[in-house]
Formats: sequence, C-alpha cells, structure tokens
Amino acid sequence: MKDRFSTHSQIELSRRALLKATGAMAGLAALGGAATLASPARAQGETTVRAYGVPTAALKDWTPMRQSLGINVEMSGSNNDVGVFMRDVVASQLGDEVDIFIFESGTEDILGPQGLYAPIDESNPNLTLWERTSDDWKRSAVVQDPEGNQWGVPVIGNADSFGYFPAKLGIDPASEEELSWSLMFEDERTRGRVAYANTYTYSMGVAALYLQSKGVATFEDLANLSAEEAKAVADFLIERKKAGQFRTLHGSFEEQIQLLTNQEVDVINCWEPAVREANLKLGPDATRYAYTKEGYFKWGHGAYVAAQAMERDNVDAIYKVLNYFLDGEYRALQARDRGYAGPNMDLGVEYATENGWTPEEIEALRATEAKVNRKFSKPFVSTTTPSNADVMEEEWQRFLNS
Amino acid sequence: MTMISAASEGEAGPVSRPRLGLRQWAARTNWVLGLILLAWFVLVIVPLAVLFSFSFFETKSYFTIYRPSLNTWISLFESGRFEVTLRTLRIALTVTLIELLVAYPFALWLAKGCRSKTLRAVLIALLTIPFFLDTSSRTIIWRAILGQNGLVNSLLMQAGLTDAPVEWLLYSEVSVHFGLVVSLFPPMALPIYMAIGLIDDELIKASDDLGATPWQTFSRIVLPLSLPGVMAGVVFTLGPALAAWVEPGMLGGGFVNLLSNSIESAYTALRYPVVAALSTFVILLLLALLGAMMLVARRFGDLSSSFRVLKG
Repeated sequence: MKDRFSTHSQIELSRRALLKATGAMAGLAALGGAATLASPARAQGETTVRAYGVPTAALKDWTPMRQSLGINVEMSGSNNDVGVFMRDVVASQLGDEVDIFIFESGTEDILGPQGLYAPIDESNPNLTLWERTSDDWKRSAVVQDPEGNQWGVPVIGNADSFGYFPAKLGIDPASEEELSWSLMFEDERTRGRVAYANTYTYSMGVAALYLQSKGVATFEDLANLSAEEAKAVADFLIERKKAGQFRTLHGSFEEQIQLLTNQEVDVINCWEPAVREANLKLGPDATRYAYTKEGYFKWGHGAYVAAQAMERDNVDAIYKVLNYFLDGEYRALQARDRGYAGPNMDLGVEYATENGWTPEEIEALRATEAKVNRKFSKPFVSTTTPSNADVMEEEWQRFLNS
Repeated sequence: MTMISAASEGEAGPVSRPRLGLRQWAARTNWVLGLILLAWFVLVIVPLAVLFSFSFFETKSYFTIYRPSLNTWISLFESGRFEVTLRTLRIALTVTLIELLVAYPFALWLAKGCRSKTLRAVLIALLTIPFFLDTSSRTIIWRAILGQNGLVNSLLMQAGLTDAPVEWLLYSEVSVHFGLVVSLFPPMALPIYMAIGLIDDELIKASDDLGATPWQTFSRIVLPLSLPGVMAGVVFTLGPALAAWVEPGMLGGGFVNLLSNSIESAYTALRYPVVAALSTFVILLLLALLGAMMLVARRFGDLSSSFRVLKG
C-alpha cells in the first residue's frame, strides 16, 4: 500500500483537500435520498444517527426503534454495487456526514485498514449484547478483515443456494433432503434448463465449491480465487457452457422471479425471496430453495462506524444503534418483513412472544432460526471484494466470451 | 455550361464583398479560431489522451497501479475482450443496416406517399411514444413473448409448425438483433422522414415532367436530398446500438456479451485501465469505420451539396 504507484496516495490526497469540496457536494447529493428512507420529522431533543447503505438492512418503519431507543435514524440508500459504494465512501468522504455505513461483507477489508472505518469498541457499555452474540456471526469475515481486526457489527445474513422445481426433477416437494450442486452444473436432467447468475463474485465461488467437493480441485479460499484457481473454474464452466448446460445468465432479482414464474428454467442460483415470490404465483412449494450437500454462498451485511464519527458527540447513540441490530426487536421485524436472519435469532423469538405476535409468526421465526443454523454449519463465507477481483473478473469474461 | 458559369458568376458577384469582409474580420479576430481550437483540444483531445494513457496501467486488488505496462492490452486479447468490441461493432452495424432497409421505405411512404394527414399524425405520434417509455420495461415484455413457454412458441406448436419450443427465439444473437431493431426504429425513421418531407414536391414533379422514370427520380432527386436524414438516422441508430446495454442483457441471456456489459463488469472490480483500453479500441475502430464510410460516401457525390435542401 505504500507503493507510490498505487491509488493509496490518491486516497490520502482526497482525504486532505482536493476532493473535499466536490465530495461534500456529492455526499449531500447522496444524502438527498435520505427523505425516502428516513423516519418522520425528528422530535425535539432527539439524538440522530445518520446511516448510509443498502436499503435491505433498513427497517420498513423505524418507529419501533425510535420508541425503544429514543434515537432517530436517518438512512439513505446506497447502490448495491460495491464499486459505487466504495467510491462514495472514499472519494465523497461521506464519513464527514454519516455515522454508520451498512453494506455486504468485503468493504471492511479495504476501507478498515485505510482508516475510513473506525474499529469496533467491544467494551463500549452500550454494546450490551456483544458478549452473547455467537462467534459465527460476530467473528465472521463479514465484519472482520483477514487479520482478525473487528470493523463491524453483523446486521443480517443468509445462506444462498439454488431454486428448483421439485416436480420436474422427481423430488418430493416436502422433502428437505440435501441436494448436490451437480443439479446446477452437470446433471443430465437439468442440461439446458439452468440459469446462472452473471456475477463472478456470486457464481464462481459456488462452482469452485462444487469442484472441491468432487475432489477434482482444491481452493485456498473459495471466495477469493487466485489466477490459477479462477482459470480452473472458468475452464470447467466453459466446458459446461459448451455442453449446453446453461440456458441463460441472469443479472437482477426481477429476472430471477421471471425465469422461475415463466418456468423458463428448472434450476437457478438465486436469492431465496425470488423463490418465495415465484410461489405466490405458481402455488405453494411449486419451487423450493435447496438445502445442499456441499455448502452455500453465505453472505451478511455489517454495520461499520465512520472514522470521523468517533470525534462527534453521538458516539453513545451510534453504539446503541449497533446494539439494536443485535437485539430481538430488529431481528423479529427483519425476519417477518424481509425474511432475513441474523445474530441472536432466539431474542427475536422472545420479542415476538412477549409482544403478542401470532403463533404462526413465532413459528416462522423459529423455522428461520433452525434453517439458518443448519445452513451456516457448512462452507463458505462470501465477500464482495475479493483481493483477486481483477483475475476473477478476467476469467469470468473468458467464460462469457468463449 | 455557360448558364452554370453565368449563374456562378452572378452568385459570386454580390457575395464576394461580404466574404472578403468576413476574411478581414477573421484575420483581425484570429483569436476566435484559436479559442475554438483550444477548447476543442482541452475538451476532446486531452480526455482522449488521458484515456489512452490510462490503458497502459493496470488494476490489482481494486487499486490502480501507475506503472506503465502492456498487461492490460495483453489481457484484453487473452480474455477475448477484443472480441466483445468486434461483436458489438458487428451487431451494431447489422442492426443499423436492417433499420435503414426497413425505415427508409417507410419514411418515404410516410412523407410522400401517405395522403391521409390523420394517419400520418397518428403514425408519427406512435413513433414518438417509445421515447417516453423506459427501455427495460419495453424490452422485458419480449421475454414473455419469445420464451420457451411464450406466445410465439405456443402459437408455433399449436399450429403444428414445430414439435418442441424454438430455443433461439430468446437468449441468442437473433433475439438481441430483434430487440435492438424494435428499439431503434424511431431514431432511424424520424430523421429520414424529416429530410424527405423537406424535399420540394415541385422538384419531383419537374423530374416527372422531364420524363424521368420513378427510379431515376428516386435515385437522382430523392435519395441525394434525403442523405442528411440518412446520415442523422445512421448516427442516432449506430451510437445507441454500440452502447446497447438493456437489450443484450435481457434478450441475450448474458452470453451475447457486448461492450457496455463488458465495461460494466470491469467497473465492478474498479478496473479503470481495462475500461480505458476497451474505449480506446472502440475509438480506433470507429475512426477506421468513419474513414471507410467517407470513402463510400464520396462515390455518391458531394454530400455537402445535399444539405442545401435544408435551406428550403
């Protein structure tokens, strides 16, 4: 990083002066969207915490949090693209305006060591639930860098696999047996009937996981493939592409739903909510989201504190909000409204029980907890920012152009 | 010949003095030209030079390494990315040619053949509607129509024309061409319609009166005078086709990888040098293409003279 040829010096420069003016303007522009996600008008004397990040982590309504903590959260939504997000944080110096950043795992590996995120103070008295939070969540690669530095607090997460049509594959819809990723890559029953995500960070890791499970290759880090490893994965995918395995690639959540509801494909590596949306149209259990033998694309969103925020007077409020992300109210509301899991699911069940939720809602929370525990016992944790992104992207292009 | 010479002299006479004045004015104000050239240099040449020089750097772990090398250019060829550029050019040119062949007769009919003003107004209104609709919304509809369980395949199978769904109707180069042709029809048809509409009907009548066949009237009067519209249509079609992102993404199934998709992919890894190299490669190819087009255009005569129609 000390290399005079690297952009590190650019970042230092931007931090000092050059981009400050434009950054402030861009930051204000980015925060312009705050009104859409922010809670209603702030009560007088209420402490405010400003957040910037992916909208999926936001509560549909922040009122319960404001009532519980007496803190007003103003959240502006960011683009889902990690490049855009990092540009906003680095070049626009959003930390001057924002207290908390929320994004999918990976940014902490780069922005933490650069000093744009503040290390998490695990002894902060407002972080009361930190001790009881399991290491699976709080020590995961979602919130720590490879050196084990703690840059974030886990917010939500899931383990992604693939959606499939049980009837077409001759599988009992009620079955929860573990299926192989071979359905995605090599099964004759699914040849030409597979949709594969057109994102190398999302799709190359699961292909590597499958190859490793087959015993034909080994990978040091499934989420961050070296040049040789990425080449091995691309060679396999090219071979499968030429064999006609893939019907199409997909690039958005809406496409996932359409491919399932039109029954254009029988198998698709997608987000779990896409299967739920398709079943609303096709009927219960028409499509299922697989439990797999080999493992999952485990992802999570972390909350990271802006370095500049530690010099402001709302640090206590910031840590109360971080603690809220670990608490039952947030857990229960997120699971019910968006179907996402997270740390301390038991507290979510407790909250629902104490607050008179219906037995069905409580049972759904318990099922989510059991499902996540089952899936999270298998590899692998993903990242949006593999350090070998350049070679992975290059090999992915080779696959696309073959 | 004599008449033309006389006319030329007659034209040159009255305008020669103002032209001289203009020259004197230009001589006195050489700085205006200098300013324009400077602005052009700063706004066009410098960014291109920066773009070109950036292509000699590379990206490692999201950081641009400012050490000149040919690695990015080498990787452009090793990963098949240069094929993306050639594929994009091929598809864009094919789509432009198809549009021209379809839109020109339509525009000619609309401007000179359609006698009903109401029908003409309705058709022009229909041509402008796509400008008010989101491209993604318009394109995604075709997936439901062209898919294996879509309307077209259902009709083909019900009619007994095929036993199984025709797979190449969707997620193929054919469907990308189709999507682009549908999307880019108005930008090609409207400028040609405007140019043909401006041609004075008296010229066409005079041609008829002088005994020209319809083909001679078309090839010697209508076609040359409509060339500005054709050129505008080609530019308005070729440009968006080169930058197409929605149609190849939605109808190509990801494997019809075009320039915009490839650039977007490079952005996700913050590989700005790759983006710079791809853009440079495209500019070089476009320059070659432009040169070839000018050579071809010369065979049709003096293009600038056809712009006289706009004075009318």
